[in-house]
Amino acid sequence: MHGLPEFHLLHPATVAEAVAMGQEEPGARFVAGGTDLLVNMRRLIAAPPTLIDLTDVAEMREITVEDGTLVVGAAATLAELAADPRVRRTWPVLATAAGTVAGPTHRQVATVGGNLCLDTRCIYYNQSEWWRWANDYCLKERGEVCHVAPGAPRCWAAFSGDLAPAALVMGAEAVVAGPDGARTMPLDDLYGDDGATPFRLGAGELLTAIRVPDPGGLRGDYAKSRVRGAIDFPLAGVAVALRRDGDHLADLRVALTATNVRPDLVTGTETLLHGPLDDDRLSALERLVGKQIQPMRSTVTSSQYRRRVAAALLRRLVAGLFAAE
Amino acid sequence: MTAPAKKKMAGVRLPLIDGPEKVSGRAHYTADLPHGDALVGRILRSPSGHAEIVRVDASAARKLPGVAAVVTGADCDVPFGVLPIAQNEYPLARDKVRYRGEPVAVVAAVDAATADAAIDLIELELRELPAYYTPSEARVPGAVNLHDDRDGNLERDVHHEFGDVDAGFAEADVVREETFRCAEVTHVHMEPHVSLAEYDPGRDRITLHTCTQVPYYVHLSVSRCLGMDTSQIRVVKPYIGGGFGARTETLNFEIIACLAARAAGGRVRLYLSREETFLTHRGRPYTEVKIKLGMTKSGRMTACACEAVQAGGAYGGYGIVTILYAGALLNAIYDIPAVRYDGYRVYTNTPACGAMRGHGTVDVRYAFESLLDIMAGELGLDPFAVRRANLLTVPFETLNGLRINSYGLPECLDWVEEASGWRDRAGETPSGGRVRKGFGLGCSHYVTGAAKPVHWTGEPHAVVNLKLDFDASITVLTGAAEIGQGSSTILAQAVGEVLGVDFSRLRVVASDSAITPKDNGSYSSRVTFMVGNAAVQAAEALRAILIEAAARKLDADPGDVECLGEVYRVAGSQDPGLPFNEVVREALVDTGTITAKGTFTVPKEYQGGGHRGGAVGSTMGFSYAATVAEVSVDEDTGQVTVDNVWVAHDCGYAINPLSVEGQIQGAVWMGLGQAISEETRYWNGLPLCANMLDYRVPTIVESPPIHTRIVESMDPNGPFGAKEASEGALSSLIPAVANAVHDALGVRLTETPMTPDRVIDAVIRKERDAKRAAVPGAA
Amino acid sequence: MTSVLRLTVNGRPRADAVADNVLLVDYLRDVAGLTGTKQGCDGGECGACTVLVDDSPRLACITLAVRCAGRRVETVEGLTKGGRLSRLQRAFHEKLGSQCGFCTPGMIMASEALLRRDPDPDDDAIRDALGGNICRCTGYVKIIESVRAAARMEEPA
Repeated sequence: MHGLPEFHLLHPATVAEAVAMGQEEPGARFVAGGTDLLVNMRRLIAAPPTLIDLTDVAEMREITVEDGTLVVGAAATLAELAADPRVRRTWPVLATAAGTVAGPTHRQVATVGGNLCLDTRCIYYNQSEWWRWANDYCLKERGEVCHVAPGAPRCWAAFSGDLAPAALVMGAEAVVAGPDGARTMPLDDLYGDDGATPFRLGAGELLTAIRVPDPGGLRGDYAKSRVRGAIDFPLAGVAVALRRDGDHLADLRVALTATNVRPDLVTGTETLLHGPLDDDRLSALERLVGKQIQPMRSTVTSSQYRRRVAAALLRRLVAGLFAAE
Repeated sequence: MTAPAKKKMAGVRLPLIDGPEKVSGRAHYTADLPHGDALVGRILRSPSGHAEIVRVDASAARKLPGVAAVVTGADCDVPFGVLPIAQNEYPLARDKVRYRGEPVAVVAAVDAATADAAIDLIELELRELPAYYTPSEARVPGAVNLHDDRDGNLERDVHHEFGDVDAGFAEADVVREETFRCAEVTHVHMEPHVSLAEYDPGRDRITLHTCTQVPYYVHLSVSRCLGMDTSQIRVVKPYIGGGFGARTETLNFEIIACLAARAAGGRVRLYLSREETFLTHRGRPYTEVKIKLGMTKSGRMTACACEAVQAGGAYGGYGIVTILYAGALLNAIYDIPAVRYDGYRVYTNTPACGAMRGHGTVDVRYAFESLLDIMAGELGLDPFAVRRANLLTVPFETLNGLRINSYGLPECLDWVEEASGWRDRAGETPSGGRVRKGFGLGCSHYVTGAAKPVHWTGEPHAVVNLKLDFDASITVLTGAAEIGQGSSTILAQAVGEVLGVDFSRLRVVASDSAITPKDNGSYSSRVTFMVGNAAVQAAEALRAILIEAAARKLDADPGDVECLGEVYRVAGSQDPGLPFNEVVREALVDTGTITAKGTFTVPKEYQGGGHRGGAVGSTMGFSYAATVAEVSVDEDTGQVTVDNVWVAHDCGYAINPLSVEGQIQGAVWMGLGQAISEETRYWNGLPLCANMLDYRVPTIVESPPIHTRIVESMDPNGPFGAKEASEGALSSLIPAVANAVHDALGVRLTETPMTPDRVIDAVIRKERDAKRAAVPGAA
Repeated sequence: MTSVLRLTVNGRPRADAVADNVLLVDYLRDVAGLTGTKQGCDGGECGACTVLVDDSPRLACITLAVRCAGRRVETVEGLTKGGRLSRLQRAFHEKLGSQCGFCTPGMIMASEALLRRDPDPDDDAIRDALGGNICRCTGYVKIIESVRAAARMEEPA
């Protein structure tokens, strides 16, 4: 049995302290629930000399509603998010998505920030040190080739967090703290296009919260495909939010997870608005998503299946949300 | 005061005798044993799937401070393997490596970090050879042989024909053939592999604590590979966290731990990771089954022909037995007039397969029962009717020389038909939604102990000793490995039933070669039957001694003394009789501590037909099971949900109905995993799913209620009538689910597991076919 | 870095020198000598190591021991009071919720957490709460029966 490599654990009490520690300690990594990072460290995928523990940063643990905007601290746990009555009432898609992550015990400690900043996953990467050595490592870690697409100049590990698509369709913003202070940006901007460097965070920056606006008439839902009823990461995950105006679709947003290197907000959905939700529109939506979805051979389940099931979940979610009003 | 009476012990729902330790955390598994100063063992594993070993240089590793020993293949030139005719595996690879993950060297060091550092310092130079990961690759003409003595990488081919198969097909109204493919699966016992080996240099002795189902085989292998006399070795099996067949042969790490301990002159703890436990494998092989049946219009089978090809992995293990079982167990469930079998066990550059619950029969049974349903559908017959048309009557001797004395399959069928409401739903119209319901039936059987042991020594198949001493407690001494299946409880109940004493007098000490009688181990569902019969005999011997003693004390003829458990008295008399303690005191006069012994040997006529390989499949009693599965299949996502399972299992007699239920439920549920989610996968020989995320053992969330019925056919040879209870039902579940999925979708999956992607592929095929059919003129 | 970890384990205060990288499962097994907590996988995949930290379930194999400073840690051994099995332990024993017993400590602790927050769970609630705990022996049928039975029992005085 393998334990963890050696490291030094720091316990900041405030965001400012955490940011300062991040600047002082080269190679330091932030950790909260540890359900992602510690597993990777046990496999020697990562061996940072310093871990900065965010669980005691009180300001990052809160879930509040300010003028109709939901503010979720990055260190709030997924269990807390899923159980919060305000979230369940007004932003139920977030609770649904949070409630499908891993298993119930993981969710007791796994955090909102951790799931939004989940390291990208791949069958050639989430393996033991021996395995990766025997396979000459990979582009994401120590190696030169992406085994998913050996000719490609980039890493195809898939982003597999459940919460991100739900937050994206609800128009969430990311609050990021760093050496230059705090900044707020669309959550979508947190994610890059390369599985090897999935997050657009500067040196010493960390996600401290997300802000989710008042949904107005927007209603969302999330569904994930997985083989087992618990524990599994999504093979494909789809979040949909829509607003209905009589018989017409007034707003429609779709986001995907586990199919691309980043959680993708599908673009072009506005072209489908202002008409009834008929089969033609659903098919057009499927085609739209089909062009933007890019599942690769990064899981044991085929990309073809993940593409198809994403389309099926999409249809079901859109029809369900449209009918629910 | 009530009249004294013997305690009823057989047929009682008794919680496990070792349960309190398990539920309170006090049970010590191998990893829990005090290991204070033990060195940490770490294994260097091959990165290559097939290569010649040019050089293993451990000199730098040996010089690292804190390293006590490094052992390589150069240090042990004796191969091991459970079958005496197929010992072709070295504990640490010597000339070649044959799968990715094969052990090459072991380090024993003061701590894990030092051991890991030493592993990194070992230089391994390999010359790559072509590697083959599937049977078809390995059998291509000109392929490099994994083993020099096996041309074409064919470990064993079997060709059996009983009865006139061609005539049978000619007689049939319908003949159909179909090919099925079953992914490789593995046991995933919850406890990762671990051994604690201690070498005593002064006495030149080894004590090994290890997580095995077969301490005796481990004992022999350690003796062979270390060149030590068996008397200098002690093997102890502590609590173990499941086995399911993974641990029914000596595994490389057990010998490696002993080699390391001897080299280091001390104690070595070798605690494998979950990934290494997957690599050690010995699971059910990838199997292609081509099966052909002939049937009359009334559903009566006229002949069966079957070809099975298995990817056995890199070493022999139990392989020959597996490929023989696959053919032998085409028989003994139905009355089939003619059976032909061609089996091919092929070496591949993957971890070696072995025995897994339902050893050999599972994939073939899935194929067989699926084809039965296909043909029933064509003939417009109910799946139950087809099975019923082919039932046998006991006593029965199969074409291949297997004997059947008890046969509860008809009752099993009756119960699952009734309980599942099968007939009520016959007229149901399918729902129009995208989630479709289906029901399916499967039947199966299994041996109750392999009639011929792997090592032929002339010894009895089982020995039990009972120790009775001054304290009037009775200790059952058995080599049978309690692995969670409840064997210690059953043996205590068997002894208790014969003696009728308070259960609190009984203790079981199991599986310590220094104390307990040798036992072949816990495999092929042999313990309840064989060791149980030995325990009954031992208890009867002890009872005879006690009756003699009571007779002396009561001044009566032993023939007149009756044993009422806690009281012995003259039969029919009204006197209070002698309490047990007094009988024991009398019995010990002049002799002291009493040891009563019981043995059991399978009579020769049960050891199978005379043909080559005929011993495999032979047994004294077959268990039978019928299972109905109710499923929901989502046509959009391909998700198969098993909503309910009804299973009836004929175990002869339930010595412990609680335990039998638990075994049946566990068995069909393990079949569920193979049916819907479990498979190992390799990428260039590297296991893709060597962890508990990607190897998908079902969770509690998608595991259905399992409605269980015990059928008691009272086998004439079993202890109290008992037979096998923990393997047979497994293989009925997989075809039950497959047939239910077909019922739901109208499309047949011919592969396991029936994962969402495979189901969707089948749905796509169905929709394509429907489109083609709708186009006039299309073929 | 090594520091002094102060916490209570099964009600007993402890102070031990513990390095930052020590996992809770290794601390409990190797330092506190409580080997009831099992490790079945290479990290966070099987639930066998489930313990309670301040009444809430935790996977001890991916929890840093030092993160439990000042907290109440409970393991399966701690449920047995004065040598008497707790109601869950008794129910798992009597209903055969435990066969090989290796998943049992984690299964019982996850169930304990459930019963503390929901004294009368239905089958769906039981399935939800135990979703991360793999058992390879029972098919879960008798585990569900055990939790249901325990919910109806009194804890021993």
